[in-house]
Amino acid sequence: MTIPSPPPDRTAPVPAAEASGLNKQYPGVRALSDVDFRIEPGEVRALLGRNGAGKSTLIRMLSGVEVPDSGEVRIGGETLGHGGVRRAVELGAATVHQELSLVPEMTVAENLFLGEWPRSGLSGVDFPRMRREAAEVLAELDVRVSPEATVGSLSLAEQQLVEIARAVRRRPRLLILDEPTSALAAGEARTVLEAVGRISASGVAVIYVSHRLDEIRQVARSVTVVRDGSVVDTVDVQEATTTQIVALMLGQAAREQEPFAPRTVDRSSAPLLSVRGLTLAPKLEDIGFDLYAGEVLGIGGLLGSGRSELLRSVAGFEPEAERTVAFEGRPVARPSAAEMKRLGVGMTPEDRKGEGIVPLLGVGENMTMAWFAGISGRAGLSSRRAAEAGDELARRLAVKTPGLDTPIVNLSGGNQQKAVIGRWLHARSRVLLLDEPTRGVDVEAKQQIYRLIRSLADEGAAVVFVSGELEELPLVCDRVLTLQNGRFTREFLAPDITLDDIMAATMAVEV
Amino acid sequence: MSSTLVADKPSGPPSSPAGAVRFRRLRHLNELGLLAAVVVLYIVLGVVAGGFLSADNQLGILRDAATVGIPALGVTLVIIAGEIDISIGPAVAFASVLFAKAASEWDFGLPIALLLTLIAGALWGSAAGWLRARFGVPSFIATLGLWSALGGLALYTTNALPVATPGGGFMEALGGKILGVPTPAVVLVLLFLVFWYVARRTAYGRSVYAVGGNAAAAQLAGIRISRVRVVLFATTGVLAALTGILMAARLGSGNGGAAAGLEFDVIAAVVIGGTALAGGRGSLVGTMLGVVFISVIANGLVLLGVNSFLQDVVRGLIIVGAVLINVVISRKSLTTRTT
Repeated sequence: MTIPSPPPDRTAPVPAAEASGLNKQYPGVRALSDVDFRIEPGEVRALLGRNGAGKSTLIRMLSGVEVPDSGEVRIGGETLGHGGVRRAVELGAATVHQELSLVPEMTVAENLFLGEWPRSGLSGVDFPRMRREAAEVLAELDVRVSPEATVGSLSLAEQQLVEIARAVRRRPRLLILDEPTSALAAGEARTVLEAVGRISASGVAVIYVSHRLDEIRQVARSVTVVRDGSVVDTVDVQEATTTQIVALMLGQAAREQEPFAPRTVDRSSAPLLSVRGLTLAPKLEDIGFDLYAGEVLGIGGLLGSGRSELLRSVAGFEPEAERTVAFEGRPVARPSAAEMKRLGVGMTPEDRKGEGIVPLLGVGENMTMAWFAGISGRAGLSSRRAAEAGDELARRLAVKTPGLDTPIVNLSGGNQQKAVIGRWLHARSRVLLLDEPTRGVDVEAKQQIYRLIRSLADEGAAVVFVSGELEELPLVCDRVLTLQNGRFTREFLAPDITLDDIMAATMAVEV
Repeated sequence: MSSTLVADKPSGPPSSPAGAVRFRRLRHLNELGLLAAVVVLYIVLGVVAGGFLSADNQLGILRDAATVGIPALGVTLVIIAGEIDISIGPAVAFASVLFAKAASEWDFGLPIALLLTLIAGALWGSAAGWLRARFGVPSFIATLGLWSALGGLALYTTNALPVATPGGGFMEALGGKILGVPTPAVVLVLLFLVFWYVARRTAYGRSVYAVGGNAAAAQLAGIRISRVRVVLFATTGVLAALTGILMAARLGSGNGGAAAGLEFDVIAAVVIGGTALAGGRGSLVGTMLGVVFISVIANGLVLLGVNSFLQDVVRGLIIVGAVLINVVISRKSLTTRTT
């Protein structure tokens, strides 16, 4: 396929994209009902809503991935109909989905032109031209990676930028970005936001999906709020207050973010978990920390600072990691994954979809799979006990699901995350290592997860809370350690934990 | 855009009971469809193929079904776990030879010969599983190695000549009937019950589904995925050995060239039964129906007097067609949201 030529006339009063009366029903859930949407050329429109509100469904229809049960989508005035993704692309709709879709083994340039490699006569791919054009697009967006680099060797942030560059290369009239910054740290997100500004300045309409209100304010003029499959309102982001926007999302008066009651954590007795000399070349160097029962320890660091590796090492999933571990003051001779689990250490991974859930298994089974003994009866696993355990966990964690045997992939991200945390509650873990538990979940689910973490600590568990969204840390943590270049740099104790301090500590330039 | 505020809807779970019931119904659609297909086959063959419904023929179908079905139970779990085992045919042949030699030439006595063969099956299966689990050798390759090595051993040790098994009441029972039902069929039914229980009601069985659905998640949940993988292939080794023993007992000899191509019948039965080759999804009930399905078709084609070379063509088309229907159905029933 050749590169679609830019639409002939951008000044005509034709909306870049328009949807009218969209309806969509999935098994067990009404995803969209009577949705109207319109975006003009050169406009940046933020799309906001809780997970499961219908944002993604709307996007999938605008990009041709799915066809509405009724209603119509028009891109640049032309009806999309049943043309699918190909037709949407031809009409000028480019989408960057939340999940990366790059081929890791190929170079940046090859990925930018994936499936549309420029040909040179009969001989094959015109590599020089491909490199040249790739470099141009990357420069336009201020992405500082070599077109020659293998995508697999890039950081997650760089990969995301490559993904955006690929969409921009097609010179679309509508660019849809689905949570482009959810995996990125602040500095890296800024590059994306600047790129979006440049893209819209050239007349492209941009739909920007994000949970981060501060970003939305920087990048968009107006925001469309979606809730329960309907468009609730479109408001001016500069005029609407955060409270108003959140209220639109939640559909009820938004509760003020309640500060958690300060507590005293007893750090005089032996720590529940004690780690010394944790080294994992090249990511971590001589890390040591103590974790006490009843506390929430936050670990703040930018992407690539070694946050995830730290948790994986503690839980025993990095065989190369050197460390000494003591549990309740007693040294652990062989801190393997099995041994750490036996002691009551549970970890939830950052990549919920890739490493957290077993997509096709039921919600209940996803919660009980770390401790089958807990649902065993005299004759093997007992469906009664499984149902009891599942019901109790679902209630305690407020997991919204049609049933315990609903495949977990059908739940929203926030509910999936709660279920994955529930897995370790079921396994009676006393140390919970939570890697980015609020990544990509909506505002309400975030609040629920904060409350959950606090109540678990109140009950005597020790929680390590890792987050790249540093503003979360003062809300939840009793203590915060900042991680930079594989070392702990600062420690902050409640109530003296401020976002400014954490930011400064994580972003400080190392001398 | 107008700024109409939509009235508050209850934000509870989406239409709970209806959704769950609908999902459950769709999940069994494949099994019901297959059951219907088997019924249709019986009606059609009962009318057009003379002698199809005779007792002798039905017992014959049962015996053939057991040969495919016993290893298929293990292979179902292997495929659910996202792996594959293509070594079944030669493994059955070698097991039949090993059993016959141990019982007659080496004079170990029947019980020891039987045990020895089963243990040998567990060992070669474990070896393949260990290659997969420890070194990440793709299971296709590990079992391809087994396929070639065991097939070669079976022919090399016998010069492709049958090895006679000793007679006796025990052998007759193994190769004959229990209460009028072929022994292999009885064994299949018992094993099916055991495997059904293991798959649904044991931690190991659920771990198999978890490993196949998302191995990384299973590992982080503390499931010992290496152990699961070794046990899976040890199981198929044992089942292939058992099939070889039953075959030797029925034929009165171990044959190095027996069961050629059985591995593909087994895989076909499992996949027709709705088990996803990508792993994570599948059922033993489906596999049993798949086994019956292909056994009945094979039998019907013989009765109808179809040219034996043409039989393979027809079988190939039917297998692909059945799986195609299956894939289309499961795609509909598993429409999932990704938000």
